[in-house]
Amino acid sequence: MNQRYEKLKQRLERGEIIILDGGIGSEMLRRGVTWEGHKVESEPDAIRSIHEDYIRAGADVISTNTFQLARRSYMNHFADAEHMRHIGAPDLDTRAPILIHEGGKRALEARDLVGRPDVLVAGAMTTLDWCFRPDMAPSLEDMRTEYAETIQAFKDAGSDLMLFETFNSSKEARTALEAARDVGIPAWVGFVCDWKGRLLNSETVHQMHEGLVGVEPDVLLFNCAPVPDIAEALRAFTKEYQRGQRPAFGGYAHVGRFDPPDWMFTDEYPPDRYLKACQEWASVGAQVLGGCCGTTPMHIAALKKGLPQLVTV
Amino acid sequence: MGYESVKDKLARGETVLLDGGIGTEILGRGVYWRCHGIEQHPEVVRQVHVDYRAAGADVLKTDTFQLNRRAYLNLFHGLEHMRRIGPQGLEHKAGRLIQQAVKLAREASNGAGPAGSGGPAVAGVISPLEHCFRPDLTPPLDQCRAEYTELVSEMQSAGVDFILLESMNRVAEAAVAAEAARAAGLPVWVSFVVRENGQVLSREPLVEAVRALEPLGVEVIAVNCAPLEDITLAVAELRKHRAGPIGAWAHIGRYDPPSWKFGFYPRFTGSDRVSPARYLEAARQWKKMGAQVIGGCCGTTPAHIQALRAGL
Repeated sequence: MNQRYEKLKQRLERGEIIILDGGIGSEMLRRGVTWEGHKVESEPDAIRSIHEDYIRAGADVISTNTFQLARRSYMNHFADAEHMRHIGAPDLDTRAPILIHEGGKRALEARDLVGRPDVLVAGAMTTLDWCFRPDMAPSLEDMRTEYAETIQAFKDAGSDLMLFETFNSSKEARTALEAARDVGIPAWVGFVCDWKGRLLNSETVHQMHEGLVGVEPDVLLFNCAPVPDIAEALRAFTKEYQRGQRPAFGGYAHVGRFDPPDWMFTDEYPPDRYLKACQEWASVGAQVLGGCCGTTPMHIAALKKGLPQLVTV
Repeated sequence: MGYESVKDKLARGETVLLDGGIGTEILGRGVYWRCHGIEQHPEVVRQVHVDYRAAGADVLKTDTFQLNRRAYLNLFHGLEHMRRIGPQGLEHKAGRLIQQAVKLAREASNGAGPAGSGGPAVAGVISPLEHCFRPDLTPPLDQCRAEYTELVSEMQSAGVDFILLESMNRVAEAAVAAEAARAAGLPVWVSFVVRENGQVLSREPLVEAVRALEPLGVEVIAVNCAPLEDITLAVAELRKHRAGPIGAWAHIGRYDPPSWKFGFYPRFTGSDRVSPARYLEAARQWKKMGAQVIGGCCGTTPAHIQALRAGL
């Protein structure tokens, strides 16, 4: 565990509120950088400046622009490895680790440029297959291999911790957490939830709790769902986990609508209204707060300004 | 011209010239790939069709590859989740885009003249319900039947001349789709993605495809979306088992998808390494081997089709 993470952990133990960054992919779109890939390599300035803006807005932890980057993400477009090598671009096999490395670099550069060495860089990784499709999850054996390989790439890229976000089952989260432990990097988990406060594979928070016994992360989050849905999951969380026996927890909601391949921005939750939601979550003990797709540096600045220093419960 | 004159050409043993890559050509003209370019840049989509017509194509493919309800639904946990976090009406978007795509191809076919004034036939392109390179994802056949019936009906009401089932990857799914087209009374062609060894991507031999499709009244059986030499091998294999019209169109360059699972993204890199002259050489071979419908798949351009028109 590096010193930076050690310090953050002490802050968590003291009950301090930790602020995450906001949307990355959606922020690219809002700035007119079209989404045909992560562009960590082809548009380094645009990506770096998003990270910089989140740091200046007050994020304690920034996440790399690497969502959905794993070897499988390319392989999925082909019948099998043989087919990919036969008709695919020649570097598809190695592209994910290279882009993970570049993505890490952009975040580290932003931290240096803003001069905030205390800010943590979280390697952002989602499920190996599509985040909203728990039914597509690979076999346990494949997951183990692929998480070990991908997490190692994030560690090599200089990440201070892993942020497993938009996870859809406790089984995959457990596998990822075990792999992170083996690689030797701290990891937090964010679950995408539905409007009933369940995980997308229909697991209740209680089932999730049981599914994570022995591998509980330092921070458990709910993310990538509308504000009321995150609120519902947080309610279920505080009911399930007794105070004093629960890990630090929190949430980051998306604002707007998923309009593939883009994000549809709406004015439903401007920064001040989003802050109010986060204040409510903080009042029931949520300690780690930030924004998912559709949130901007303005949202994070509002959280920095408006959230209390210490969690109130 | 509609389908009749294409049918006459086939009956007379003449070569029918298909157009070339649609998605790759739209992307190549600088369009940001969203909604197949149809919503934001209909003029570019139409111009691609116009350019293929000018190059001499007898058939224009609609810009509808992998455009179906499932393509959007697949990105969500289910319909309820899509309605909860997606924009309003997303479940109807594919159908809307299909209508517009057919209209754009039709306008290009009509050109300056009145409707039906002798332009190329418009082929309503339908591809596998799941990603064309993933035969392992084929839905249950009953489900396929329902979805193809709906797709065919959308194509028919939009006014296509016939159905082109393109880049099919599994015989059973192709047969169900062909049945749906025949049930609607539309002529149907079926083309399969092939592997290096000349088999369908599902590893089924082409002879099985021929056996399954001929009784259904499929007018052309073809192979597409594989490199030149693979298509050449597959044409030889197909000819062995089928006496009726067969077709061939290869992709050029390398499929270069983004990591993001946002459905079909028609990026091929290095396509410029296969010049129209070189493509023509391969196409001459296919013709000699008996291919009667010849065109281009991903990466090919109007210049390639023009070379075929001049040289075949």
